[in-house]
Amino acid sequence: MTTATEATYDFDAMLQTIKDKQWSLADIDWDAPGAELVTDEVRAKMKPFMADLVWIEHVGARGFASLAKKAPTPTIKRIYEYFHAEEQKHANAELALMKRWGMLDEDGNPPEPNINVKLAIKVLDDFGDTLPLTGLATLIPLLECALDGALVKFLLDEVHDPVCHEVFRHINSDEARHITVDFQVLELIGAGPLHKLLIESLALLSPQVVIGLIVVFTPLINKMRDNIVAMGLPEQKLYNAVKRFATIGSRGAHTSRIPAYHVLKAQAAMIIDRSSPYHRLLADPMVKLTSFVPAKVLGRPQAWVDELTHEPVAS
Amino acid sequence: MTATTTRYDGELLRGAQWRGRAFTGLSVAVIAPGREAAVIVPEVVRTARAVKVFQEEPDWLLPLPLPLPRALAVPAARLSLRLRVRDPWTRRRLTPDARFNRHRPRVDGRYYAALQEPHCTLISWPVYALVPGGLRSAEGIEHRVDCIILGTTAAHREDLLA
Ligand SMILES: [Fe+2]
Ligand SMILES: [Fe+2]
Repeated sequence: MTTATEATYDFDAMLQTIKDKQWSLADIDWDAPGAELVTDEVRAKMKPFMADLVWIEHVGARGFASLAKKAPTPTIKRIYEYFHAEEQKHANAELALMKRWGMLDEDGNPPEPNINVKLAIKVLDDFGDTLPLTGLATLIPLLECALDGALVKFLLDEVHDPVCHEVFRHINSDEARHITVDFQVLELIGAGPLHKLLIESLALLSPQVVIGLIVVFTPLINKMRDNIVAMGLPEQKLYNAVKRFATIGSRGAHTSRIPAYHVLKAQAAMIIDRSSPYHRLLADPMVKLTSFVPAKVLGRPQAWVDELTHEPVAS
Repeated sequence: MTATTTRYDGELLRGAQWRGRAFTGLSVAVIAPGREAAVIVPEVVRTARAVKVFQEEPDWLLPLPLPLPRALAVPAARLSLRLRVRDPWTRRRLTPDARFNRHRPRVDGRYYAALQEPHCTLISWPVYALVPGGLRSAEGIEHRVDCIILGTTAAHREDLLA
């Protein structure tokens, strides 16, 4: 069923490239000069942004762990296992930057996630492994385009520490491969039989998934969106990031056959347009509502949330 | 990109070389799939000071040699895992992929208990290089250990032993 697409894209070669391009926090001199370029003003402004970024990478890592459970081939499964680890590496490296800039407490503990991140963790713990492949495989490239295209570029514009730029050269090179694979997998899924696409789309419409998306991801994304725009990110950059999702998706011959792709593309367009009724009627009330959720009712998250570390070497 | 051309300079044991050894006072990394780690780890945990188990591929384990057909052996192994490992994230990392893992459940009653010893850590990140003093895995961390045990599968990995 997939021979035509597989002939056009070599996932084995990509896996080899991923293995060849591995890098380590231990390669980076975390005490090199340049930290002083992060002034008190920048530090205060960037601290909540960095905390959000660390947690988004960490939650993204968990997303790839779920994708690995439903990858269509053993090679793609292996690629997702590497991406799971690489997103964790990004979170670890960003935590190490926070440490370098004096943004962590004395024990170097990771920042506490906000309530919307906690809700996302809860949903991933409870439903991540049962979400259909199409849904996750479409959601992740959208988040990666936004992260890569808007958040990271913003960070690099604001912070002039050379170590930060070195770290993000590695991260961006990883992300370029993530986005390539994300969309090649969408092509593979889109080239599959129509009945399978429809069955998976119906599964995506099941109440728990719809409620999960509305209650969890809508406020999560909206809160980030407003936070970074308030910090000075031009809305044009967000717009470009989402446009990229649509552009790359439309380049493929088969991606447009995936219903979830169109749904998320439409939702993304509403997210970036602040005048859309989406914000007034759905997203803003959701941000407000979730801010009243006491974290206690979510119970203890699974142990993967404790795997963050800023230490490049463990003994 | 990585400056990892030099070799691991601690003690490197391959295949069955770990057998009959005492690891008193040492920190040890074991690189092996579940079916091999199940044999190695319970022995090493008895004497080592600290053990990190780099197990990327899990396999089903049955606590007793039950004469079950495969259709029943896997559910029995799943139940055994459920009963013997409380932490759901650890359990997830010990659950084989039903689509791609074709190994029969093997009989072992000690691996899960050994993994849950306080001085033993299960790590499922891919290991991509051995370096002086330890190894590097894809979550970006260098793990320093006194001794590395490569199970039979890992002992054949040219990328690690180049
Ligand atoms: Fe990332
Ligand atoms: Fe990524």
